[in-house]
Amino acid sequence: MEWVIPPPCSPPTAPTCPLEEASLNGSGIQQRRATGPTTWMSMMRRRTPVHELHVMVDEVYMLSVFEESVEYHSVLSLERLPDPQRTHVMWATSKDFGMSGLRFGTLYTENQDVATAVSSLCRYHGLSGLLQYQMAQLLRDRDWINQVYLPENRARLKAAHVYVSGELRALGIPFVSRGAGFFIWVDLRKECEEEALWVIMCASVKYNIRGPALIPRMKTKHRIYYITLFSIVLLGLIATGVFQFWPHSIESSSDWSVQKRSIRDVPVVRLPADSPVPERGDLSCRMHTCFDVYRCGFNPKNKIKVYIYSLKKYVDDAGVPVSSTISQEYNELLTAVSDSDYYTEDITRACLFIPSIDLLNQNALRVKETAQALAQLSRWDRGTNHLLFNMLPGGPPDYNTALDVPRDRALLAGGGFSTWTYRQGYDVSIPVYSPLSAEVELPEKGPGPRRYFLLSSQMALHPEYREELAALQARHGEAALVLDKCTNLSEGIPAARKRCHKHQVFDYPQVLQEATFCVVLRGARLGQAVLSDVLRAGCVPVIIADSYILPFSEVLDWKRASVAVPEEKMSDVYSILQSIPQRQIEEMQRQARWFWEAYFQSIKAIALATLQIINDRIYPYAAISYEDWNDPPSVKWGSVSNPLFLPLIPPQSQGFTAIVLTYDRVESLFRVITEVSKVPSLSKLLVVWNNQNKNPPEDSLWPKIRVPLKVVRTAENKLSNRFFPYDEIETEAVLAIDDDIIMLTSDELQFGYEVWREFPDRLVGYPGRLHLWDHEMNKWKYESEWTNEVSMVLTGAAFYHKYFNYLYTYKMPGDIKNWVDAHMNCEDIAMNFLVANVTGKAVIKVTPRKKFKCPECTAIDGLSLDQTHMVERSECINKFASVFGTMPLKVVEHRADPVLYKDDFPEKLKSFPNIGSL
Amino acid sequence: MQSWRWKSLWLALLASWLLVLLGVFPLLRLAVPTRPRAGVPQGWPHWLDAELLQSFAKPGELLEDGPQPPQALRGGSCNWGACFDTSKCRGGGLKVFVYPAAGPVSETHRRILASIEGSRYHTLSAAEACLLLLLSPDTPTGECDPVPPQWDGGRNHLVLSLHPAPCPRTFQLGQAMVAGASPTVDTFRPGFDVALPLLPEAHPLRGGVPGQLRQHSPRPGVALLALAEDRGRWHVAGTDFSACPWDGRCEQDRGPKQTHPGATLPNATFCLIPGRSPDALHFLQALQAGCIPVLLSPRWQLPFSEVIDWTKAAIVADERLPLQVLTALQEMPLTRVLALRQQTQFLWDAYFSSVEKVIHTTLEIIQDRIFGASAHPSLLWNSPPGAILALPTFSPSPSDFPFYHLQQGSRPLGRFSALIWGGAPGQPPLKLIQAVAGSQHCAQILVLWSSEKPPPTRWPKTAVPLTVIDGHRKVSDRFFPYSAISTDAILSLDAHSSLSTSEVDFAFVVWQSFPERMVGFLTWSHFWDEARGGWGYTAKRTNEFSMVLTSAAFYHRYYHTLFTHSLPKALRTLADEAPTCVDVLMNFLVASVTKLPPIKVPYGMWHQEARPPPLEPGGPGLTQEPQPAAHNCINQMAAGFGHMPLVSSRLRLDPVLFKDPVSVLRKKSSPPPRTCLTPTPAPDPLRFHSRMCPLVPTLFMLPRKVHRQGPGLTREPREGRAVSSSLWPGRCATNI
Repeated sequence: MEWVIPPPCSPPTAPTCPLEEASLNGSGIQQRRATGPTTWMSMMRRRTPVHELHVMVDEVYMLSVFEESVEYHSVLSLERLPDPQRTHVMWATSKDFGMSGLRFGTLYTENQDVATAVSSLCRYHGLSGLLQYQMAQLLRDRDWINQVYLPENRARLKAAHVYVSGELRALGIPFVSRGAGFFIWVDLRKECEEEALWVIMCASVKYNIRGPALIPRMKTKHRIYYITLFSIVLLGLIATGVFQFWPHSIESSSDWSVQKRSIRDVPVVRLPADSPVPERGDLSCRMHTCFDVYRCGFNPKNKIKVYIYSLKKYVDDAGVPVSSTISQEYNELLTAVSDSDYYTEDITRACLFIPSIDLLNQNALRVKETAQALAQLSRWDRGTNHLLFNMLPGGPPDYNTALDVPRDRALLAGGGFSTWTYRQGYDVSIPVYSPLSAEVELPEKGPGPRRYFLLSSQMALHPEYREELAALQARHGEAALVLDKCTNLSEGIPAARKRCHKHQVFDYPQVLQEATFCVVLRGARLGQAVLSDVLRAGCVPVIIADSYILPFSEVLDWKRASVAVPEEKMSDVYSILQSIPQRQIEEMQRQARWFWEAYFQSIKAIALATLQIINDRIYPYAAISYEDWNDPPSVKWGSVSNPLFLPLIPPQSQGFTAIVLTYDRVESLFRVITEVSKVPSLSKLLVVWNNQNKNPPEDSLWPKIRVPLKVVRTAENKLSNRFFPYDEIETEAVLAIDDDIIMLTSDELQFGYEVWREFPDRLVGYPGRLHLWDHEMNKWKYESEWTNEVSMVLTGAAFYHKYFNYLYTYKMPGDIKNWVDAHMNCEDIAMNFLVANVTGKAVIKVTPRKKFKCPECTAIDGLSLDQTHMVERSECINKFASVFGTMPLKVVEHRADPVLYKDDFPEKLKSFPNIGSL
Repeated sequence: MQSWRWKSLWLALLASWLLVLLGVFPLLRLAVPTRPRAGVPQGWPHWLDAELLQSFAKPGELLEDGPQPPQALRGGSCNWGACFDTSKCRGGGLKVFVYPAAGPVSETHRRILASIEGSRYHTLSAAEACLLLLLSPDTPTGECDPVPPQWDGGRNHLVLSLHPAPCPRTFQLGQAMVAGASPTVDTFRPGFDVALPLLPEAHPLRGGVPGQLRQHSPRPGVALLALAEDRGRWHVAGTDFSACPWDGRCEQDRGPKQTHPGATLPNATFCLIPGRSPDALHFLQALQAGCIPVLLSPRWQLPFSEVIDWTKAAIVADERLPLQVLTALQEMPLTRVLALRQQTQFLWDAYFSSVEKVIHTTLEIIQDRIFGASAHPSLLWNSPPGAILALPTFSPSPSDFPFYHLQQGSRPLGRFSALIWGGAPGQPPLKLIQAVAGSQHCAQILVLWSSEKPPPTRWPKTAVPLTVIDGHRKVSDRFFPYSAISTDAILSLDAHSSLSTSEVDFAFVVWQSFPERMVGFLTWSHFWDEARGGWGYTAKRTNEFSMVLTSAAFYHRYYHTLFTHSLPKALRTLADEAPTCVDVLMNFLVASVTKLPPIKVPYGMWHQEARPPPLEPGGPGLTQEPQPAAHNCINQMAAGFGHMPLVSSRLRLDPVLFKDPVSVLRKKSSPPPRTCLTPTPAPDPLRFHSRMCPLVPTLFMLPRKVHRQGPGLTREPREGRAVSSSLWPGRCATNI
């Protein structure tokens, strides 16, 4: 929907019409249009949006600026948009690439409502796949665009522009032009009257000026019908569009007016001097004693609900503020919480409350008055279920390790807890945020040996530690580097960013990337911001601070990323570190950087990790696992966790359930049933009757067998029905068998079951197949020839664990299941992919190869010989590999045979003599 | 003309109706007043002047907060760094001294003593010990120990009480650690004390009863819940269990579903253990039965919670939210139930099934604290075979062990070292060396010379390095972790073994699929001898086997470390004395770790026409048929392990086309010219097929489990590692 209303302004006199207003009848949407290439810039600069308007910036000439003196600035390149929610940027290929007919463009907006509305309109303006493909190809070719097309286009535009403007100038006609696109506004009022001009122009483009110009000439009555038809369609379209769009915009606009406020406008609360003060923190608090879980109540999503008190400014009787209203970090933290899934507006449904009183730094607080402010919160209730954030606790001289503000039962997320103040399982230890993170770019440096083995970069250390460090450096020379504050820095250089050793100056935090190990010593406080910098540099922190509770130690495995050395042993630190093997050091470096990226990087990361920890305590059965907290993505990527990991050989007595998929080959089916029923370990037989048009034979006609036989009728003829987890399957082992596999002997089936018992997490099957990489076609190929290798078994006859039925039916990735049902093929390949992907293991092929052919039916091999069938199977492999994003199949060179198979041994003494006999 | 008009009219009407239908929902929405809904989150305001806010700390404040002197220890509470002196443990690792019992000892007490004395940690001298262990008396008579001689304020002491002590303590615990049965979180000092399980009186000393789980997934129709009741009883809830444990409805139908005290646990998926009767015995019962424990009280410190990740095996829930817990259990996805059930069994078998395991786990935890950075990674504690069997001294990286390749996304090295145990008089085994050296996967050959005679000076020239190591003339030497072994795989051989190159190649390829198992050619099987009332084993060819002979077998080099450093000394001495035993012992060891049978590959398959004499281990007493003394050996081993770990297998892994009626040309056994052989096998997931000599240098590794989307532009995988084809020349086409 393009809201363009032609500007009724007179260009030559006022080339930039700053703001034009119009209103669409009835819709209530205010539209304004700014024209002129640089107008929006000036508008942007007005900080306060007086009009509360949406700015739609059409940057359609973005790439066609040919004037060298003019530099193009996209509105998106601004550091901070005054109102990102109401700034929308459009661009299309029509002007820059001269493709006005193709209707291909983009809208960039952060406003969810606009995006939804526009995307709902997209269905009326779909582009053909061909065109999308072409555009993608075009836009991807950046080298061509940047080096060939754009310079050439600009040069031509400029040439044309110079020519026309030269001509106009020669004629003495006034005009306005800008250095972009091909735009020249010509003022012809002097030359001719308006009507005359119209006539001239229309005549020149050969328009029929009699009657409505747009409707082709036809008989009047036809014309009426067409007009009626089109107007109805048009009206409908408009109605749909407006209805879809309107309610959103109204709701959203009311939100915006609430959200946009200034911090200076927050209400002031006066705290009387005698208002109540909460009790000191209760050290014996635990989740089950001090936390009220009833407030978290029944919750299907297993997510706690967090409420944030609205911001107020607290002053004492004299009007002196209790603390600075709010710090940048705390504001960020509250924003992060409010943007997360945990947030709720509704105070009555909240389970956790976060005051908007900024307690991050105790130095900036007046302890007693802050406590009073906490106590008067509307749901305070002795601090139950309140979460306070603090990073710098304590104050001189003795620096307590937890926040000194009396807080009763409130939970404390604090930086710098010690074992004596930390309430295990109640408080959360958080890192001290390092603001350097936002300031400095520090690209990741891969693990490996670095210049210095050990580095200390902290500035305010106690002389005793400093002596120890100096001794370390004296002993180990170059390998250890101890840095200190710079004394002779020139003005203007921020002291926080420099460190010195003697007269050598180093950049901080860059120098941390030169070291393998970095010392993190206790200062006055246990929690040090340097820990964050060290992790970020991929330097392994050596924590020398007894009793320090490391950040998020409840869930993070710090052993993997750091070395803790007791303060007593500080002199041995070098030898302790040297005993760590290089491989482990590299692992730790990687882990350190990952911890920073995931949990230290931003205030948002810290806030969300804290809430997740509390959430996991309240809903422990939905908690995030150790691996999810600690494994870096590269490990998560490559690892496979086998769902059947326990080495367990199920007892033989359990037996297996045979599932026969059949359509209408009753005679062959009955033969299969009779054959299979001879297998000793069969415990049940399930026939999946996949034919909806025909009833299965009457009960009396079925073969009489010794085990229960059940017939399941399906609603649709789908191949997936074979893998449905039917309630009737009671055993773990399932034998999937086609209704034409009559050539397997009872010994072979029994042996197959025995093999499955030894490999219950694999597919154990009879005919094996292989996938190959075809180098000519650059894709996978399906192979059924007699090969020395196997990567798949056909599920026309295969044993597997019934859990894979559940996976196939409910957890199959992508649209594979539908693909299989639509193509009526490849369900066995899909099963092979699924099992290999989830277990990371290969299939087991049992027994020698035999021809799977029967005289009266089309057997697997009969089909396989068919060339189109093979092509289709190859397609399946390629399709599945792309859905899985990998090729999970494993190739092996072995198959399973009975121990004495083909050995020189009396046949009658062998357990499974009748194998490979057909 | 008329029809045309009607047609267009109908068309118009149809179109308008369609539009009305499409538009009806938005219209309905319009009918509702569009005031802002209450549930619409408005969120924390985005302040207009947020960028003007101050940072929470001034620039220098974070860097200089005033130096503080190192702090003295505060009395009262202890933590690991403050109250344990690790300097004593520096040399030999954890050495444990146990105070001898003063008076009469109870049965449990005696078992604990025995298990520590048999372990690798034990020392007899209190002076060289790093940890002093004090057993808390559990005699009901209430005789209390006096303060032990080397008490020293409890420093480096561990007070072990498997049962809550009936005797009030006569002295202060001071700085001693306490390993007590099922402590509550209120008194427990995390990272210092050790939480033990409460063991029943008759808990076995060694081995122990394996877990009762017989299948991975719960049987259909099994009750969802069993509720623990007083005096070790269980009550199985019916299908209608909506609020059963809480509103007393279960009271009505107590009867057949209630078990007797001491009886094994009924079949249920989840076992609710309420907080009101903290009977920790229930917990172990449930664990053993594979019934997922649901603890309704968060007050308990779960056993060994310092290292065991209980969220993988149990559910700790708050009994204050009963509906939530029940719903969560009902809706728990099958995948999670499966994982939890299996984990209970693994934990039971690895750490809880015997007194010895509990004690060893305790000591292992303390050793981990001493090791600090080189302790067991969490993965080793929480996945099979468990930390007691995965020694951290072997390697800091889990991917060096044979067990964690899947979790780590790694694979064992593609080469093997042949370790030939020789020493009998005679010539060096030329034929064997050449056959092994001819294998494309062979990295080196080590000859372990274990004879009085000096080794011959001349050895055959081979393509791979050959090293002669001088052994100590003990049979157990062959399983010593020699530093010269550089590969993951070891091919253990006797000088008298006879193998062909293709046999070696095939067996190695099979081993790569099963790096944690032994892959061998010749097998023995064990059986229960009713007549003798003991175990026996035979080398006769049977339909089953449970051991492979180490005179020709592939296995991971980690088993050398385990054999030398973890087995009790008594068992190794036994093996040295009766040399047949060493094979049995190695098989016992591997089977007790993997709980799976070894793998047999065919022997003599490639030389049908000239079949070599059966692998006659003329070496140190490896006769074909074990002597009666050997039967004694297997029984002694079984006693030493506390159970019979061997598992039988009924299958053999053969090459895919083994003895199939196809042209020999198709089979791999006739190798094409050497120059075209692949030197190392291509990585498995997306490998070149061996039959195609690849010319195009593209091999793509795709990330696992990524669902690629978008238009069909990504025809070929773009990211990942491409390996030049020159590295992988591939085998020649045999039948293209």
